[in-house]
Formats: sequence, C-alpha cells, structure tokens
Amino acid sequence: MPDLRIDAIINGRKVSRTAKPWQRLIDFLREDLHLTGTKEGCGAGECGTCSVFVDGVLVKSCLMPVAKAQGARIDTVESLGRNELSVLQKAFHKAGASQCGYCIPGMVMAATSALRANPFADREEIKERLGGNVCRCTGYQKIVDAVELARDVVNGRISATALEEEETADGRFIGANVRRLDAPSKVSGALKYAGDMVMANMLHVQVLRSPHAHARIVSLDISEAAAMDGVEAVITSEDVPGVDGFGVFVHDQPVMARGKVRYVGEAVAAVAAEDVVTARRALAKIKVVYEPLPAVFSVEEALRPGAPVLHDYAPDNVTKHIPVRVGDVARGFAESDLIVEQVYETQAVEHAYLEPEAGLAHVDADGVVTIQSPSQNITHHRHMLARILALPINKVRMIMSPVGGGFGGKEDMIYQGMLAILAIKTRRPVRLVFTREESIASTAKRHPSKTTLKMGLTLDGRIRAVEFNMVCDGGAYGLSTEGVMRKAAILGAGPYNIPNLKMDTYGIYTNNTPSGAFRSFGALQAQFATESHLDICAERLGIDPFEIRRINAMRPGSKTHTKQPLKSASLLAALKAVAQASGWEKGPPTSRGEARRDLGGPGNRPSCTLGSRIDGAPGQARDEVA
Amino acid sequence: MLTCDEYLTPTSLDEAFAAMAAHRGRHRLIAGGTDILPWAREGRAGDVDVPVLIDITRISELTERKVAAGRVRVGAATPIQRFLDDKAIATAMPCMPRCAIWFADDQIREQATIGGNLANASPAADGVPPLLAHAAGVELASKRDGRLMRRLLPLNKFILGSGKTALADDEIMIAIECDALPGYGGSFEKVGHRRSLVISVVCLAGLVKLDASRRRFEDVRLALGGVCPVPQRLTEVENFLRGAAIDSGRLERAAAMPLDFVQSRTRREYRREVVHGFVMRGLINALRRAGADADVLKPELEAAYA
Ligand SMILES: Cc1cc2nc3c(=O)[nH]c(=O)nc-3n(C[C@H](O)[C@H](O)[C@H](O)COP(=O)(O)OP(=O)(O)OC[C@H]3O[C@@H](n4cnc5c(N)ncnc54)[C@H](O)[C@@H]3O)c2cc1C
Ligand code: FES
Ligand code: FES
Repeated sequence: MPDLRIDAIINGRKVSRTAKPWQRLIDFLREDLHLTGTKEGCGAGECGTCSVFVDGVLVKSCLMPVAKAQGARIDTVESLGRNELSVLQKAFHKAGASQCGYCIPGMVMAATSALRANPFADREEIKERLGGNVCRCTGYQKIVDAVELARDVVNGRISATALEEEETADGRFIGANVRRLDAPSKVSGALKYAGDMVMANMLHVQVLRSPHAHARIVSLDISEAAAMDGVEAVITSEDVPGVDGFGVFVHDQPVMARGKVRYVGEAVAAVAAEDVVTARRALAKIKVVYEPLPAVFSVEEALRPGAPVLHDYAPDNVTKHIPVRVGDVARGFAESDLIVEQVYETQAVEHAYLEPEAGLAHVDADGVVTIQSPSQNITHHRHMLARILALPINKVRMIMSPVGGGFGGKEDMIYQGMLAILAIKTRRPVRLVFTREESIASTAKRHPSKTTLKMGLTLDGRIRAVEFNMVCDGGAYGLSTEGVMRKAAILGAGPYNIPNLKMDTYGIYTNNTPSGAFRSFGALQAQFATESHLDICAERLGIDPFEIRRINAMRPGSKTHTKQPLKSASLLAALKAVAQASGWEKGPPTSRGEARRDLGGPGNRPSCTLGSRIDGAPGQARDEVA
Repeated sequence: MLTCDEYLTPTSLDEAFAAMAAHRGRHRLIAGGTDILPWAREGRAGDVDVPVLIDITRISELTERKVAAGRVRVGAATPIQRFLDDKAIATAMPCMPRCAIWFADDQIREQATIGGNLANASPAADGVPPLLAHAAGVELASKRDGRLMRRLLPLNKFILGSGKTALADDEIMIAIECDALPGYGGSFEKVGHRRSLVISVVCLAGLVKLDASRRRFEDVRLALGGVCPVPQRLTEVENFLRGAAIDSGRLERAAAMPLDFVQSRTRREYRREVVHGFVMRGLINALRRAGADADVLKPELEAAYA
C-alpha cells in the first residue's frame, strides 16, 4: 500500500510528509497537522465547515483527496489574522455573528473568498457567495451583516474604527451592543471542540448500529473483530459493569442494545482501534444474528390492542400521559356559540447542529474516568454513568466541551457510556466522532405530534372551553419524552384564559428513531395547534386574529392552566409590538387589503433567484484585491 | 468512506492509459471526486474500497479550453466554475454561466468537473440540459493494441439512462465539443429545496436566436432535466416556435404543449406545473437576453413568470 508523498506550502510553511492514499485533505489537515480550525460538519460537501484555500481558490476539503494537495499552496483559517484578527474576523466579532461557532471558521473563509472576488459585493451577492455554508444557530442575518461591515472597511467606505467595541454608557450592559467574549476563539478557529481534541496514544472508536427497527439479538460474535491487528477492544452490552440504563426521565435505554434492538441506528457494539479505518473494518467483522420482530411505526399502530410491546415495563406502549383539568368542559361547550374541531400534525425534525456528536474519554492517574463531550446535561450524565459503571461518583468526571450546537439534541447520554467502558477496558484514551449520517440516524428528533383540538367560543370571541388531545411519537426510548409531554400540557393551550380545559398529552413508544428535547420542548407542537386554531376560529367569527388573542390574553393577575398566579404578563405588549412591526392591517384573517396581499406586497421577498454576479449593475467597481 | 490502496495522478494520456491497463478491473477514474466521495458513504454505497484510483485532472489535454472556427472545445476535467468566469466560453455558450451559477456552490464549482457530471449521468445533472441544447458531442479515447483511438459521440448517444453511459471501461472522456452560439440569449431555470447545494427537481436550459427584426425566433433550443431518466430536448416546442413571430399567445401555447416527459415517481403534478412555468420563463429570459424588441415582450408577461 504505497503511501503518498505530500509536499505543500501550508499556511506559508513548507510541509513534506507522507499520507495514506485514501486520505482526504481534511483528514491530513486535522489528523496529521492538527489544524483543527477546519471542521467536518458533514463530510459530504453540504455544509462548508471544511472550506480551505488551495492555490488561492476556496474548496471543500472533505471532497478533496489529499493527493490533489501535492505541490499546492494551502491556506486554512489558521492562516488568517495570525497576529491580530483579520478585518472579517473582527467584523464577525463586532456583529455578534458567532453563536456555537462551529460553522464560523468556514463562514469566515467563504466570506474572505467572497470579498477577495468582489470587495463591493452587495448583500445579495454576499448571500450567493456564502451559499455553500450552512449555519444552524444564527439565522444568517448577523453573518451577512458582518460581511457587509467588513466589506465597507476593506473597500475603504468606512473607517476601521467601526470594528471596535462600542462604548457602553456608564458600564451598563442591558440594552447595549456587547461583543461576545468567546467570539475571538471561534472566528479564529482556535476553539477546540471534542472532535478536535487528541490525547497521546489515543484510540478511535466506531459503533456497530442496528439495521432493524425491532429484532431479537440471537447471537453476537465479536471474536473475529477482536482478533484483528490494530483492534484494542470490542464491547457489547455484556461489558457494562453496573446497572445498564440511561434516559433523562426513565432509564430505559441500555448503553448498547441488550437482548434486542428497538430502532434502526441503535448501538449494538463498539470497537476501539488504532485508526478509524481499522475500527470500521472491524465493525464489518462482527457477526450478529437477528430475529426480526413485528414493529410499530406510528402511534396508531403502537396503541392498537395486541400491538408489539417495546418495553416490558410499559405493556401499553405509553411512555407518559400528562393530564390537566380545569373547570368542566361539557358545561363550557354548552355555553359556546361556536365549536371548532381540527386535527394538527407535526413531523420529526432533526436538530442538525453543525457539530456531530463527539467525545474523548480516558482514565486519569487517580483512576477517574473522565469524559469530554458536548453534553448538555453533564451533572445528570455523571450520576447515570456512575451507576452504569458501578463506580463511586467521585471516580466519574464529565467535562462539557464547547457545544457546536445542541438545541436539546445533546441532552441524551447516547455514547458517553461506550467511551467510558472502552477507556476503562483499554486503559488508553478513546475518541469517537460521529459521522453526519450516524448523527442523523441515531440521535433524538423533535417529537412528531398529532393533536385533536376542540374549542368552544362565544360570538364575541371569548374562549369557553378547550379539549386538547396530543399524541406524540416518542420513538424507541424515553429520553426526554416525559418532560416534553409535561411542558406541552402546561403550555400547550397558550397564554389564554380558558375557564374549562381538558388537556391530555401522551408520549408513545414506537420503533422509530427516539424523540427527545428540541428547542421549546413540546410547547412548539402544541402551540402550533393552538395558534393555528385561533386563526381558524377568528376567521369563522369574523374577528381580527390579533383581537381574538387580546380578548383571551392572560393579564397580570391571571392564573395559568396549572394554577400559577402571574405577577406580570407581557402578551398584550408583545401583540402590540408585532402588529406594529409587521404593519398589520386590521381585519379577519381572510381580508385582503393594500398591505395584506399574498405576493409582491411591501416587505415581501422576491421569488428565488440567483445570478446577481452575472446580472449585477454594470459599472459597479469590481477590482480584484489580493 | 472511500478507501484505496493506490492513488495515481498521471500527467499524460499515455501514462493514464498505461495505469488503466496495468490495473484493469481494479481501478476507477476520479476527477473532482464530488460525486464519488459522497457516494461512498452510509446510506448510499457505504464503505467502498477501490484498489486503484486514477485521477485524470492533471492531464493537460483534459483541462484545455478553446473557442475557434465556430466551435467550442472544453476539456472534460474543466471545473464548472470556468463556465461562469471564462469570458470566451461564456460568450460562446450563453446558457452555461446561468447553469453554473445554480450548480452546487462556489467551492464545489471549483472542484466538480463537467466530464464528471456527464459521466455520472444523474437524471438531475445540471450540466446535461444546456449541453443538449448546444447539441454537444463527447470525445472519448482509449488505447487499444498500442493505438490511441478517439471517437466523438453526440451527448444523447453518450448518456443512455440514469447512471448509464456509453463509456467503455478502457476509455477516458477527453473533451466536450459543440457549436459556438454567440448572439443567442441563454437561460437556465432550476428549482429544488433551496438555492445552493440542491439537486434539481426540475431544470431547463433555453437558447434563443432572433432574426434581424428582433421580433421573430430564428432558432429555439430547450432542454429539460430532473424529470426523466435522461434529460431531453423539447423538439416539438422548438419546432413550433422556430421562425414564428414572438407574441405572448404563441409562448403560452408553446408552454401548454403536452409534455409527457415527466416520468419522475414523486411529485409529478408539481413537476408538470413547474415545467410549464419554466418553459415560459426560460423563453422570456432567453428572449430578453437575446435582445428581443421591447414591445414584443410585454412587461406583464415578464412579471407573471419572473
Ligand atoms: C454538495 C454537492 C452539491 C452538488 N450540486 C450539484 C448541482 O447543483 N448540480 C449537479 O449537476 N451536480 C451537483 N453535484 C454533483 C457533482 O458535483 C457533479 O455531478 C460533478 O460535476 C461531478 O464531477 P466530478 O469531477 O466531481 O466527478 P467525480 O466524482 O470525480 O466522478 C464522477 C464519475 O465520473 C467518472 N469520470 C469523471 N471524469 C471522467 C472522465 N474524464 N472520463 C471518464 N469518466 C470520468 C468517474 O469515474 C465517476 O464515475 C453536487 C455534489 C455535491 C457533493
Ligand atoms: S462540506 Fe465539507 S464537511 Fe461539510
Ligand atoms: S454559529 Fe453557525 S452553526 Fe452555530
């Protein structure tokens, strides 16, 4: 297997090294040269976090075989602003353009390329030129603001003082534009996320995952994999020393499948080897015999009498039911002039944080199992892991590495257990970095929901009764389902005074990918139903949708549906601000006036186009700058 | 992930053919790698081991570009971005810059090659409809019994089906050739889930030439991608318009011609509607860029399909 010889100028320095023939440029930069400012968000060309310059041209290093770097000049984010942040990096800092920061080095690179090509690019052209880079946190506006700010400094339209921090009036921070303290580490690419970290003598972990939605594991033979050269350890559920189970509420999920698998993508075994390729080849050598079991893929199937049962402790497949009762809905409906009933459905949603899950574990000199990972819940993880490992809690340490986007998706301890066991077993540091596909296949999603909502109102728009029944697909394991159902039940009927309320939320086990926490934690699905429903009721009653909300709004002194007295309530103020900012034209939802047109109205975006570079205004200055 | 035992980078055709002969049956050609690398991942081909990868991008003949004597010749390893920023090529191939701007993103356009796009033969390959509209041919070469053999195949004889081409396993695609069409107005319409980095659900390439009055079609070429296994020219529509006076009624009738190309299994109704809108928009955009007389292209019509 002849290695490649790579002679290249990397960030201005001559590099002569060998590389494996299959390595991609990103592997060479990150693994061999430890230039970890270049990130791997997807490995498939879709996200832009791996962007680097090759001979001055921006490319995606995850799609470039390293052989193509032979003789080339390569510049990574580490080449920018070596002594002082570059203008663009300062502008990102100033504009608050970095949040989790994982996309930011790639964004800075793409923006650098864009302004090199055209230091007069307008906002539209900047957006087009950044089209290959995905950010999941910022909503892009601040990133584009930052590039516009940098553009104007670069082309001399404004002075570089615009990049400096604004003075805050007498040390007050509320209401002031304050730069984020952690931004320099992100815009420079210096910040180390778990997948960027290395330790001497480190092993690489890969995970064997279930191809079946529901199957009994008849046999699991790791012997051939374990015997391979370069493989240090192969573990299965048999290697779990303590009480095997984790979850944010019920501990129903084993570290690796125990006896049966319950969803496609569930961990079955894990390998620690000298390198990732060896670990992956070892996975292919693990022999698992499955006996497929009947599976349920929807809540309807799961609730049918006699349906296959996922967990023995929950023979009805119900993970959690949360009821809330206020007043008497039968009386409320009897007092109503209008009763509207509708069904609302929402689908599973992937968090798609730009940083795929990753973790690094080792056993320190005092025998403390130490895990660094972007966990959103380290204290709880530490407690669960101590039980799983049968270790006293002071022998387990969880360090939260920078989270490259979590949004709730990193609350579940789905891989830290495997890392801990492998670190203990091999007595070497072990690191696991998920691929994007693995992250999507194996980690929690937003709960798909189905809500039947019945609302009774009087003709003047007052809500008299609500019956709200939400059934959510919690997937194969409990994760955060219980909390999500609770929050949906508490908040789902909205900030409205409802004298008679019957609210039920159900989390159901199915053989789908587990559902878990995701921004707003269940309130979103429920509010989608409630708010859509209010619009429909407003239409039926011929009332302005803002008005129907005002009529029913909780005010200071109101009690929530779960009897919490509100000392303050800002709904009315928020409604007013939204109506103003949107230029709302009064009238029921169906009315169409000068401003409320479907398309082409003021403030509406034009349809999707590209090509401002081709069609750009002639005569615009487009000198190339270095 | 894609692994290999050897990664070869020949710098001449001779070297490349020698490597292909030496590793016959164990090799695969690679250009930009933007199709092959993502293909060798979970959910698609999974982990793939190709014993020998032969990178053809450093063979100079494959990166040459030339516009001469009314013909265009573009090396197969030309990155897509050159269709956007090489003025000579952009003038001779008026719908290619429009296609390029919709192709992947700024980074990938520098890596992805036109030859790879054709050889990969995806039904949604954006490079195919414009080249069909250009009546392009594909030059293939092989070395058999020590002799360099070259053949030129029309593009519609090269792409045989989804992922299927006429390329023999000892052949390399050398170049793409077509007539230069300066003075034509070009358009490329594309829709997917978003603007960048998106597979075409429908795409359409348009080329229009006007006669001296600038009120009549002299030539019309339309090709459609994303909706059938192999992108197609809309010959009936072209014939209906060629030589005709430009008026909105005729455009509407052209766009309403029954098109039974939409064979995709998903979202057929949607695709049919888009095809109708794209024929209109593609023609209008190409007409405007060809310099059609202002009063034959009514602003309402332009606005309706903008
Ligand atoms: C994120 C992303 C976005 C994309 N967006 C688009 C898009 O918008 N539109 C679009 O059409 N495509 C798109 N693609 C697909 C891909 O970039 C193109 O098809 C590209 O043109 C392939 O060229 P390549 O040089 O990278 O091919 P490679 O991956 O190198 O090769 C592809 C195939 O062609 C063969 N091949 C390559 N060159 C030759 C040759 N000279 N002779 C014989 N065989 C050859 C290879 O053996 C291989 O089978 C996208 C890909 C990614 C990853
Ligand atoms: S584009 Fe390369 S890692 Fe996502
Ligand atoms: S800041 Fe862009 S992905 Fe988090």
